[in-house]
Amino acid sequence: MSMIQCRSIGLDGGLLTITATRRPRAGRADVKCSVPGSPAVAERMQQVVRLARHTEPRFDSREQVVLSLDRAPDEGARDWELAAVLADRIVRGVFTPQREVVANGWSDAWHLGRIDGRQLAGTPDGVLLGGADGVPHLGALNGQADPGAGVSSARAWFPMYSGGEHDGLGWVEVSVRPLARAGQVEDDPVSVPDVDAVRQAQVAAVLAGARHFDGRGQGQWRTTVRFGEPRFAGNSYELALVMADRMARGREFAARGRVIATGASSAWHAGRVESVEALAPKCALIAREAGPGDRVLLPKEWENALPQGMRDALRARGASLACVERIGII
Amino acid sequence: MLGSLIKSTLESTLRRPLRQPEFDASRLGSVAIALPAPNGLTVPAACAAVLVDRGGRSRRQAAGTRIAAHDGETAWCVHPGPYTCELLPFAAAPEIGLRVHFAIDASDPRATHQRFDLFLASEAGCSVELAGFVELAQTALQRELAQGNLELPPCTTLDEWNAFRTGFNQLLYTRFGVTVDDCVPVDLGPANDYAAMLDARLAARLDAIKAPPAAREQAPGAAPVPEAFVPACEDARALRRLFLELPCLMCAVRMAVMPADQGRFRQHQELLRRLDLVSLAVGTMPALELAAPGQPLAQDEQLRRARHSRRAAAALDEAWALLARLKVAGEAPLDTLFDEADRIVANLETEAGARRAISAREVERDSELEEA
Repeated sequence: MSMIQCRSIGLDGGLLTITATRRPRAGRADVKCSVPGSPAVAERMQQVVRLARHTEPRFDSREQVVLSLDRAPDEGARDWELAAVLADRIVRGVFTPQREVVANGWSDAWHLGRIDGRQLAGTPDGVLLGGADGVPHLGALNGQADPGAGVSSARAWFPMYSGGEHDGLGWVEVSVRPLARAGQVEDDPVSVPDVDAVRQAQVAAVLAGARHFDGRGQGQWRTTVRFGEPRFAGNSYELALVMADRMARGREFAARGRVIATGASSAWHAGRVESVEALAPKCALIAREAGPGDRVLLPKEWENALPQGMRDALRARGASLACVERIGII
Repeated sequence: MLGSLIKSTLESTLRRPLRQPEFDASRLGSVAIALPAPNGLTVPAACAAVLVDRGGRSRRQAAGTRIAAHDGETAWCVHPGPYTCELLPFAAAPEIGLRVHFAIDASDPRATHQRFDLFLASEAGCSVELAGFVELAQTALQRELAQGNLELPPCTTLDEWNAFRTGFNQLLYTRFGVTVDDCVPVDLGPANDYAAMLDARLAARLDAIKAPPAAREQAPGAAPVPEAFVPACEDARALRRLFLELPCLMCAVRMAVMPADQGRFRQHQELLRRLDLVSLAVGTMPALELAAPGQPLAQDEQLRRARHSRRAAAALDEAWALLARLKVAGEAPLDTLFDEADRIVANLETEAGARRAISAREVERDSELEEA
């Protein structure tokens, strides 16, 4: 029997806490929910959790998950839905967040994994927000593209290291939308909001080079690139950017978890991956952050200098590591 | 003289084989893998005949012989291939695929049953088209990848690729009885243009918003209508599969593991015992449309029962995939695999029990009582 907690911010601004416990099923219902004084919300919670489970590939009938909300949410409030779904996943080990989860989001299509929006105003720090500008569907927690959306977006993570206390994994997200059919002959438009002109030009050049190597994707897409933290230095994010772009364009095998990559190149048009600086601290950072299903990609030059036992430690956690000299298969 | 001529002509007419029943073998080996064959047909060159009786027992006849089906036997003409197909390992990545060359396994003298023959008996229904078969294989592959039982990560290295190939070959052999001759990653960009797909998706969404509901219903071929779920058909198909395949699966599970110690032996025995009980439950399953003898069951409860049957059949698919993993695994990961087996058998038990129940309430009644 194990127990975890997930929180959500209520309409009144106070925190709601969902406690999830897992225990042997013993002939009972697969999901049991309780909300003090509000059986209707409990029923909706059971429905939400059951629907969201349809997006999981593995089904286990041996366990029962009991979810309980510490107080009844306000009339009409639905932001607790995302927290309930995540609590159900965390307690079964389907989703393994690095820190305590505070999540707000609701959906009318949980069975598709879609998260339609949130009622919460503003964007407080450290809160997982459902909706188009936050987490638009459950797969996006691992950076995967939504198989049902008209705009394909994928994320990849890269270690940000400066020796300060803000070191951690940053993400880059590539969204692609097909160019209008009218056969416009223009350069592939790439927009990168929130960064300076130099960085914008660099991102556009990297994408152009990598797509040239790929042989496809030129003149097809309108591209938007976003960074989780737009203020950083260096170019070791390039490999993560290229991987996110390939995933968004549906041209890369998928990882079950996140793709965590570091690497740069002076020749993306040849698909080459070159070494970057700060091997030791970045490896330590990755070893700390990687979780089950994650795929770690490092430059080939790092292979012989990797910290001892890193590969095994990652494998023991369910992540895998590859040192690559070129993008693409093998 | 004339008399003897007439006599010899008559004799040769009598001795000549009976007129061949009509059978079009031209599609075999290219777009069709197996076609139902009429009794009395001479098996075409390069093909084999598979005859299956009502209980699922099968036998084969070689090319050139004439199909002589006993009472209750169904015959298929099977072309061993080779066949070529393209599989999509990830639905979210339509521009990268695998080109697979495979062949139907010749009958293996060591095996007590031929897996492909079992596939014909339990899943084929009528004919086995290449396209339909490829879809089944793709579903099996995608599920194994999604569960992490096979790995095909971004920037796959050579070692990872080889491990994948071993697992994939064994999966297709264990699940369908086909051997993979070759498998290479392939760029499907020209065939599956993702930009065009997304464009169509966006256009469809726009149309759905613009067009009035009446016009939307009449728009032909706007979106492929999903195959209707007919409870009686789904239920019959799923139960037939469970009925035929569980005994063969048990037999294979028994042989796949050689228990190293007493603890493992007990675990193995327990697993087989539970599978046996599931098999018994399937064999004695009450009719879909009856709550009790002579008592009809409500339509929505029939639908619920059929859904449980289908989920049980899905667990059966997972069990075949697990058997493939057992075969390639060494001693080391056996703990994980036995835990997986425990999960799959528990799912089979749960679904079979729920299929038997006459209402959803009954399934969860025990818990209500206990917690009240």
